[in-house]
Amino acid sequence: MRDLKHLIFFENLLQEANNDLVKQARSEGKRALGYTCYFMPEVLLDLPGCFGVRLRAPRSGSPDMATYYMSNRTCHYGRALFERALEGGFNFLDANLATETCTVTCRFQEHLQQMDVIKNPDFFSTFTDVPFKKNENSMVHFRKQLQAHVLDPLHEKFGIDVSDEALMTAIEEHNEVCRLITEIGAYRKLPNPPITGYEFHVIQLVTLTCPKYLILPYLRETAEELKTREPEAKFPYRCRVALAGAENDDPAFTQLIESCGALVVADRYCYGSLPGREEIVVEPGQSPLDAVARHYLKTSYCPRFMPQEQMRERKQYLADIVKEYHADGLIVASNKFCEYWSYERTMDALILPRDYGIPTCSIEKEYVNASTGQLRTRFQAFVESVEIKKLQEVK
Amino acid sequence: MGVSIKSLKDGAQKAREKLPALAGKLKESAKKLPDPRAIDREQAKKLARDFWYGKPHGERRLGELYEDKTGLYKHREWRGVKDTFYYFHMVWLYNYGSLVGDIMKYSDPVTFVRGLWRYRWLGQSYLPLLHWFDRGLEGLRDEALRASAWHFRAMVSVSVNQIANMFKADAKLRNGAHNDAWQHTIAHKETVWGGVFYPWSDKFAHVPMEMIPYFVTCHVNNHTVLNYIDAVQGIGLPGDPCPMCQAEAGLFVLDDMPDYAPFVVTTNEACDGSVASTAIQDWFLNCPLFALPQPMQFDDPLVQEHCANEIRELWKFIEEQTGVPFNWELLKERLESQNALQRFEWEKWDVDAKTPYYPINGVAQALYRIYQSQYGDHPIWHITDKRVSKIMNRCVEKKIETFPKTRHRVIAWSCSPLYYSHWCTWAYNCWGLNTVINMDSLMFDMEIRTDTLDNCVMDMARYHEWAPMRRMAVGGMHHIFELWDYMERFNCDMVMMYDQLQCKGMQGVVGLFEDEFRKRNIHAIWMPHALPDKRTVSRTEIRRIINDYMTTVMKEEPLDPSLLEFDDDMSW
Repeated sequence: MRDLKHLIFFENLLQEANNDLVKQARSEGKRALGYTCYFMPEVLLDLPGCFGVRLRAPRSGSPDMATYYMSNRTCHYGRALFERALEGGFNFLDANLATETCTVTCRFQEHLQQMDVIKNPDFFSTFTDVPFKKNENSMVHFRKQLQAHVLDPLHEKFGIDVSDEALMTAIEEHNEVCRLITEIGAYRKLPNPPITGYEFHVIQLVTLTCPKYLILPYLRETAEELKTREPEAKFPYRCRVALAGAENDDPAFTQLIESCGALVVADRYCYGSLPGREEIVVEPGQSPLDAVARHYLKTSYCPRFMPQEQMRERKQYLADIVKEYHADGLIVASNKFCEYWSYERTMDALILPRDYGIPTCSIEKEYVNASTGQLRTRFQAFVESVEIKKLQEVK
Repeated sequence: MGVSIKSLKDGAQKAREKLPALAGKLKESAKKLPDPRAIDREQAKKLARDFWYGKPHGERRLGELYEDKTGLYKHREWRGVKDTFYYFHMVWLYNYGSLVGDIMKYSDPVTFVRGLWRYRWLGQSYLPLLHWFDRGLEGLRDEALRASAWHFRAMVSVSVNQIANMFKADAKLRNGAHNDAWQHTIAHKETVWGGVFYPWSDKFAHVPMEMIPYFVTCHVNNHTVLNYIDAVQGIGLPGDPCPMCQAEAGLFVLDDMPDYAPFVVTTNEACDGSVASTAIQDWFLNCPLFALPQPMQFDDPLVQEHCANEIRELWKFIEEQTGVPFNWELLKERLESQNALQRFEWEKWDVDAKTPYYPINGVAQALYRIYQSQYGDHPIWHITDKRVSKIMNRCVEKKIETFPKTRHRVIAWSCSPLYYSHWCTWAYNCWGLNTVINMDSLMFDMEIRTDTLDNCVMDMARYHEWAPMRRMAVGGMHHIFELWDYMERFNCDMVMMYDQLQCKGMQGVVGLFEDEFRKRNIHAIWMPHALPDKRTVSRTEIRRIINDYMTTVMKEEPLDPSLLEFDDDMSW
């Protein structure tokens, strides 16, 4: 396939948290707001006058300083973020909108509060309590939390307009990003998609880490380009897989899977688009904030949700994705020391093959994947097993 | 029969062969005894005193009581005439008698024995129970021995009560039949505070699922739980999540959890692992389940209403499941009873913090408090508190220094190793480290209002949020640093910093603790452990770490050098 026009530009944007578009937005007087989790609605951080940056620590090495503070027995992602903060890589942030949604990212964000790490005199960090359920009580609670810990501080400290009109503007812009990503992502359902899993991963990540108003023109152009992009004459992969699991902001990981012969057609992981890029619908008479709060709780399939029906829905959702995207198998990856996904992955690896007949590869990885040789062997073996299964089905 | 005679002959032959060696050993031992002719008057007095009162701390050699590599006793500790007899009658005989009595009172012996046969966690921990007393109460004398023993005794009684309630209702012991007791029992995760079930306590028993099979058995027999951890790893779980949650999930993987209730209540307390392991439990249980969430940011006044509403939702769920309405009068009554327990706990803390007359040792304080406050109100707690109150008042009135060899007043912070909760008994005997208070004791530090239902539910929400492994661990990092205030309040000069290697929350804050310890010039010993899993850091290793600190940093000499090194890995 011919290279996407903006792919290298997108790739470059992912080399730094403080990338060129972030710098541009800040030079235009916009406030940069960091966050780590889907439960912090990015749309609220993209109000006029500010923009959200979902934090990453690209090109991380060994997080030595962070390991002193958080030991080497915590999730590498949380430590890598803290290391980057200690190195000064997040000094561009004006605030961090934190959630206590998993222990180690919570501890990372608490260190930002406790220690004078971010060298920005305006910097502040505030925590939002995120419910564990999707019932009405949780919806109301979440809305109140977002008002008290996101909108109010942004208005008080930075003078951000948090009116319903401003929220509607942010929602419209956000929805356009979602529409474009959904449109681009839908190509992956085709028998021979004009986009690879890697390319999609890169595009999805730039929408999370760059100011929306600056990335949108490139997205529109890319969506237009894909309408006429010719795929390879023959499907160049040996099988198609859905990728699920914990935090994953490393396109090289997707690339690694694809280099083993499996096209990644669905991204159901933290920082992925499934779920995450559904449009927010504001019903007539509903306040935009209420719509936002409900949207983020309803659309999430995080293993953090405790009710029985939601624990079970998660498996069905994964099976539905596999079916919708015509995947031949599923790779579930959890980060080492991630409590939620360690269990979720174990359950997925047992239930999805047994109850849904989906071949499943279960792996544990690090935030920085140094041991690519071992992972490659696992993926190659999985691809072979899927191929054999397909051959047996033909017979 | 022929084989038996042959083996008897072989045995006799072997015994004959061993006789000369035994005789030699006896002679050696006899040589070590003081020659009666050489004993002067002072020595005779001393011997008599030691016999009557037991050897004083500093002269005891408790380590010599152990069989090497087992941690088992060669013979019982001589505590002096009075205390040895007290121990024999009021700990050994009384407890064995009470065990039988409690089984008869709460259950029937046949069901109990069938359960003993069916469930590994009970089969492996019932008989070593008294050894748990021995380990926890080693070296104690007088009032300290009595008060601490009553705490142990109460925990055993409530445990037998829970086991009996489980077995009375257990469908697995009845070929899947659901009897009336099954219909009248509520199952819940051990980290759900039992108080939320008070409104139904006249008609329904509530039994925490993992409290006995996991939590209690860990203390009594530290080998039992390993099997469950291995089981859950056997289905693909990595080894790094919290081993407590692993063990709790493993009980279900091995089908070692009684089926004693029609529905289950779970919670996100204490951590991510509890939420995640519930998914495995739900898969195996496959019955109606209510998730009772605890907000993480509990300082935020906005979360209280949310939490209170969830408790109300739970009550609706129980009403739907049982068909029995919520009983406000009963809730009030039970909460007021529980408040009385809390008030006595505050009295205890007052004596503990301000005087050297507190008669409860570190392990009894920690376990009793966490058990009592987590499980909720029970008549045995009140009986025990009355007994302990008498002893404590006597100590204060007569100014009895209960731990006279205290060199350092220690606060234990974070969560403790369950397989070595009695480390503080050892540390006092060996080094004079007196663990006066621990983090888990300081949870649930409140009374609950019963004037109106609204006030009551709001307080219950707060109580629920201040659970063990939780009150200081979430809701903002500043809570974990309340350590400094408690050190001052309890007049402590040393910290035993539990380092649960697989607790992400605590691992995520180690560096700031190191910084603060240095800045404040506080002596802190980091005690690595893996909660129930002794294979990660053994008891011997824990003792070595403390020994090293005490000799190299504190430059102190042990009170009992025989306790410095011994191998109790095979012990219960």
